[in-house]
Amino acid sequence: MNAMPGRWRRMALKIAQHASWALPGARSLWADAMRRELDYIEDDRAALRWAIGCVMASYTARLAALPRLRWRVLSSPVVTGSMLLLIVLALQGHASDQTGPSLPAFEETTCALPDMSPDIRPRLRCGTVRVPRDHARPDSGNFSLAVVVIKSELQPALPDPVVYISGGPGNPLTDYAAHQARIAYAPRRDLILVDQRGTGRSEPSLCPDLDRRLLEATLAVAADDSADAMAKRRAAYMTCRDEAIRRGVDLADFGTRVTVEDFEWVRRALGIERWNVYGESYGTAVAMTLLALHPGAVRSVVLDSIYPPDPVPLWSTVVSDARDAFFAHCARDAACSTSFPDLAGTYRETLNRLDQNPLVVGVPPQLQQPRDQVRITAPLFEALVSRLLYFPPAYPTLPRIIQSVHDGDARGLGTVVASELAAAMTQNRATHAAVECRDRPHFRNPLPAGASALDRVQLYGLCELWSDLGPAPLVPIGTSAPTLVLAGQFDPVARPSSSRHVAELIGSNARWVEFPLVGHNVRHFSPCGSRIAADFIDNPGQAPDTSCVDRNPPIRFVSRAQIP
Amino acid sequence: MARKPNSSRQTRTVLAAFLDRSQTWRHGYDLAKETGLKSGTLYPVLMRLSEQDLLESRWQDPERPGLPPRHVYRLTSSGLTLAREQARSEAAEAVGDPSGAVA
Repeated sequence: MNAMPGRWRRMALKIAQHASWALPGARSLWADAMRRELDYIEDDRAALRWAIGCVMASYTARLAALPRLRWRVLSSPVVTGSMLLLIVLALQGHASDQTGPSLPAFEETTCALPDMSPDIRPRLRCGTVRVPRDHARPDSGNFSLAVVVIKSELQPALPDPVVYISGGPGNPLTDYAAHQARIAYAPRRDLILVDQRGTGRSEPSLCPDLDRRLLEATLAVAADDSADAMAKRRAAYMTCRDEAIRRGVDLADFGTRVTVEDFEWVRRALGIERWNVYGESYGTAVAMTLLALHPGAVRSVVLDSIYPPDPVPLWSTVVSDARDAFFAHCARDAACSTSFPDLAGTYRETLNRLDQNPLVVGVPPQLQQPRDQVRITAPLFEALVSRLLYFPPAYPTLPRIIQSVHDGDARGLGTVVASELAAAMTQNRATHAAVECRDRPHFRNPLPAGASALDRVQLYGLCELWSDLGPAPLVPIGTSAPTLVLAGQFDPVARPSSSRHVAELIGSNARWVEFPLVGHNVRHFSPCGSRIAADFIDNPGQAPDTSCVDRNPPIRFVSRAQIP
Repeated sequence: MARKPNSSRQTRTVLAAFLDRSQTWRHGYDLAKETGLKSGTLYPVLMRLSEQDLLESRWQDPERPGLPPRHVYRLTSSGLTLAREQARSEAAEAVGDPSGAVA
């Protein structure tokens, strides 16, 4: 085949693409199958004939799905003629999509994603959806969003796929498509992943060269609360903001309400009638707002580890509650309390000691730290412990880590620091600010009294300079859509009592389930949570069996004797 | 009188093509060439058979680098049963035996 496709071939490709557009949802797999055959047809004219047949097949299947139409009826000359006319009209409409996002359209591209394996690749459809920069003004230009559809391993898939809305804001998602493909959210349902605007492969890119500087300035204020460190951080954010504006970005084009309209646009582009919405962490704010604004398009909602709506308490107080709950659990656990009889006291003493004498740990060179070392100060240690509370796999060793650092040995922290720094680098901090500053009024205030290092890394005092406040995210009060709220006992982002309060606000169709010995992102770390979520999505009208919650395996704490 | 399902000429042609090589996974384009059906006719038949669990499908790795994976098909056991019944019935019609027992 020629490197540059000929006219007939190009036309064939375009027509076949239209077939994908015409056959959305669960049946899009068939359009995909037909289109891929084109690459095995050598003759360009034969390819064109094949592509026209693909569109006919797509429309036939689409019309056959309508009530009272039967396949035999569709083969009559009158219906065939009408269908051809419809196809011509639709092709014209679809062609006009190419110049602007007046109609939602999914443009399929090659899947160039990390960690693809031969078993995963055929299940992926990668592409872009162009969304209006400003949904209220369709002529405002557009942004291209990266979208990945992961087909269910079991085919044929059920209608109503799952859309997973990840946390952040500012975290890329499609990079992890291979991982997501391996963990079914609900059997027999496709999974939709979207890089929210300003993250991952989606436009716009907000000051990409300055993101590292934003991270460093943020880490600096965690360790140092001086006015100088705060001023440097502010300056770094303002430089980023000015650069974005200079490049034509309007910072009013961000925020959860905008993101929600992007998701709605993607849903329509993929031809999905209704979807199951799975929001995690910050994604719960998007999921709740989506349900409030577009209830007809939502079959069910899972809110995993809620990012609480305003008014939110000071973050350090939420972390403190989660930490205390963990310490209290240790005190009740025979193995933990024997090895670490006063873990809470040891932790307080450790902070005092680090205040006097910070410890130094080595980190890998790729993290580009001075002399490949990081100083473990008291605020940094507080931040690290709060991060470890997110992840149940860290729980068995957390008391031992606290004890070791207390005793002046920070070697065990090297890998923790390295993985946390690496994770922090994947977040787009500018996009994080762009969304949060539109959503959250309290970040327009100066740092509150009683704030700790954990609060200093938040956006207090920055948002007033960054952008105007946008419309608030919403809580779908009184929704009729079945909603499942998952809460982790040690979640350092939302107290279980907060998410229960949100569930009560949502109303009688919301079920709240607390998972003992789990932190943030219940589904990911709790097989029981994963099963309950899958059962719920499978049958949202029925109360899921939550009996596995009480059969959680205990934390197998690493004892003090095991300290090397 | 209600029409018997899966008895259209196109569906019988497709079932017969699958029956010929019942254990082989078949590509859409090859099936189209073999049966003489256009893609616009063939795929609705495949979709319908699949939705009735008469046809199974999977993605097959590309035949050579640079080409995409292909969707391939073969009859399920109930699809095979149906295809064999159709074949027997056609053979019976051909020899004028209304019972369909030709063996």
